[in-house]
Amino acid sequence: MLTARNLKKSYRRHAVEVRVLNDLNLEVQTGEFLSIVGVSGSGKSTLLHLLGTLDAPDTGSVLLDGRRIDNLPAHERDALRNRTFGYIFQFYHLLPELNTLDNVLMPAYIHHSMFSWWQTRSQWRRRAEDLLKKVGLGHRLTHRPRELSGGEMQRTAIARALLMNPRILLADEPTGNLDAESGGEIVRLLREINRDEGVTIVMVTHNLEIVAATDRVVRMMNGVVTDELPGRPQSFQPRLAAV
Amino acid sequence: MYKLLLCVRYLQTRYLAFICIVSVMLGVATLIVVNAVMSGFSTKLKDRLHGVLSDVVIDTDRTDGFYIPDDIGNPLTPDQITAKIMASPAGDRIEAVTPTIETFAILQFRYRGTVVAKPVRLIGIDPEGRAHVGGFSEFLDRQKNSPHPSFDLTTEAMQRHEWKVKLFERENGPVVVPAPKQPVVNTLNTIPPPSDDAMTKEMPKPKLHGVIVGYAIAHFRYTDDKKQVVEEAALEPGDDVIITTAGGDELKPVWGSFIVTDYLKTEMSEYDQSFVYVPLEQLQRIRGMNQRATAFQIKLKHYEKDKKFVTDELKKLFSRSPEIRVATWEQHQGPLLAAIDVERGILNLLLFMIVGVAGFSILAIFSMIVSEKYRDIGIMKSLGASSWGVMQIFLGYGLLLGTVGCLLGTGLGLWITANINEIEAHLSAMTGVTMFPRDVYYFKDIPTNVDYFTVVFIDIGAVLIATVFSLLPAWRAARLHPVRALRFE
Repeated sequence: MLTARNLKKSYRRHAVEVRVLNDLNLEVQTGEFLSIVGVSGSGKSTLLHLLGTLDAPDTGSVLLDGRRIDNLPAHERDALRNRTFGYIFQFYHLLPELNTLDNVLMPAYIHHSMFSWWQTRSQWRRRAEDLLKKVGLGHRLTHRPRELSGGEMQRTAIARALLMNPRILLADEPTGNLDAESGGEIVRLLREINRDEGVTIVMVTHNLEIVAATDRVVRMMNGVVTDELPGRPQSFQPRLAAV
Repeated sequence: MYKLLLCVRYLQTRYLAFICIVSVMLGVATLIVVNAVMSGFSTKLKDRLHGVLSDVVIDTDRTDGFYIPDDIGNPLTPDQITAKIMASPAGDRIEAVTPTIETFAILQFRYRGTVVAKPVRLIGIDPEGRAHVGGFSEFLDRQKNSPHPSFDLTTEAMQRHEWKVKLFERENGPVVVPAPKQPVVNTLNTIPPPSDDAMTKEMPKPKLHGVIVGYAIAHFRYTDDKKQVVEEAALEPGDDVIITTAGGDELKPVWGSFIVTDYLKTEMSEYDQSFVYVPLEQLQRIRGMNQRATAFQIKLKHYEKDKKFVTDELKKLFSRSPEIRVATWEQHQGPLLAAIDVERGILNLLLFMIVGVAGFSILAIFSMIVSEKYRDIGIMKSLGASSWGVMQIFLGYGLLLGTVGCLLGTGLGLWITANINEIEAHLSAMTGVTMFPRDVYYFKDIPTNVDYFTVVFIDIGAVLIATVFSLLPAWRAARLHPVRALRFE
């Protein structure tokens, strides 16, 4: 479904060029819960950014359902990030001026004009509230991020990522800033979403304890995928999420 | 939708932005107040200038007045010249014409035992005719707005005059009138002597000619020990003055005695300190200008519409007399009015630079806000916001700040303008410094005139400046790479 082909990416720091991805190839199956592990600096987050069109590769391509997406016009990539991909970051990245409900609604605000929002606001609000209840934050709709715990903020971010019914969730170290218990809750939630709604999840982590809940684990080193590790012993049931 | 939401939320939560709002507010308020006060001064000045001068003035530099010969070489009288003017193509656009004589003079009077002499501009008028051509009676003190002003003394003024005569006689002795000589009696073919009744009848009193003096000529202002402005009358209705001018063919000194009947109070020191009005006929008699005038003051029916046509026609009418000038009141006061407009233009430019400084503060503060918002920009881009959408957030923010600042500044500026005299009084009391010395400006209150077109222009300019200065930070925000923005600390 989501393919990375011969990806190369470098960053230049002053006069020094740092090669992060070195001819990387990866296939993500539909409905899969994939973990990407590796040491710091192995290029995991960079790969995630390229998969989600947040950044562009130097060479190589990213394909979604066989269609190249890394070289699309800006407005099409913006639309992909709004409706097809959902992002979950290590540091939650909620907007501090908005409350929980508005943070979750942010993708819908971005998608709609003022006029079309006015016509559809009730159903979007209902969806946001349902998602927040699902992640256990139904009682925190009007709270600002500074009034939430780390786990609550991450769950808000997950609800936000799910608002537009994305096909793919890209999670960059979602438990990196949480304690073990909260981190475990997050991974369980992601597992539920993957199982119940068939959302494909690509999770980057350096925590090998949580990868057991995933379907497949790939290891990265020096900018390439070095090997694959099985996650859950049983095979997964791919389910196509409604587009 | 997210752009408006974030603009409003940033406005509510970013207190740093209040500095921008305050900058714009103060700049707009200052511009409005200064424009209102300058416009008030300018309007009052123009009103006074126009009031003292009529719509159109025809004058000559000849000290003996207009010389327009008729068919047999005799100079036309003022009435004949007036008829000539009314018979011209401009006549049907003219409402009233009055002849005047304007010349220099010295006004002398006694004050506290000493003789005071002041150089004045002496104007001979027919008061009713002068009232018809423009503001005259509106500036009189005793006969304010009277349709029939005159040089007549009031009863009180007459009493004061007679009292002063008696006081002078008491101090200096009565005036002795020598007894008439008895005629030599000659019985042969003699002319009968005049009857005793004729000799003993009371001599007719000389006619008293009134004079209207500028208010500042007749009054002195000074600041007392309590720092209050005190006004003292040096001349009152009923007091007599001597006016000395030049007249005759060889411009020899001539003089006349007049009784003060009224004051001229235009609230412009230039006029109140120098203008003196006397009856036209008396001035003609003193100067030996029988049936002559040095100027004609004309009032038009529709000034703005007809001023060019009338002045052109009158210039044609008097084209054979190059010493005769025809000009509107604006052309008469051209340099002064131009100076006022130039001052106002420069002041507005300087004040707009203040709003420009506010714009630079917006640029600085917005640059800081964009730096603070790097991560938020990364989040929005990761959620699908376009670069143009991110730019619109900050442009809209600048527009919103400018608009809020403008609205507050307009309210503040209009409030200050409406209460400027009370504010001036409070500030003067608090600081001990008189902000608006009445003895300098001669206005009772600070004149203001709010032109709403100017207010709108200021508001649009300020909002534009705020928006333009938010352009660069907004563009920088739009160009941010989402990954770098997300990693920003």
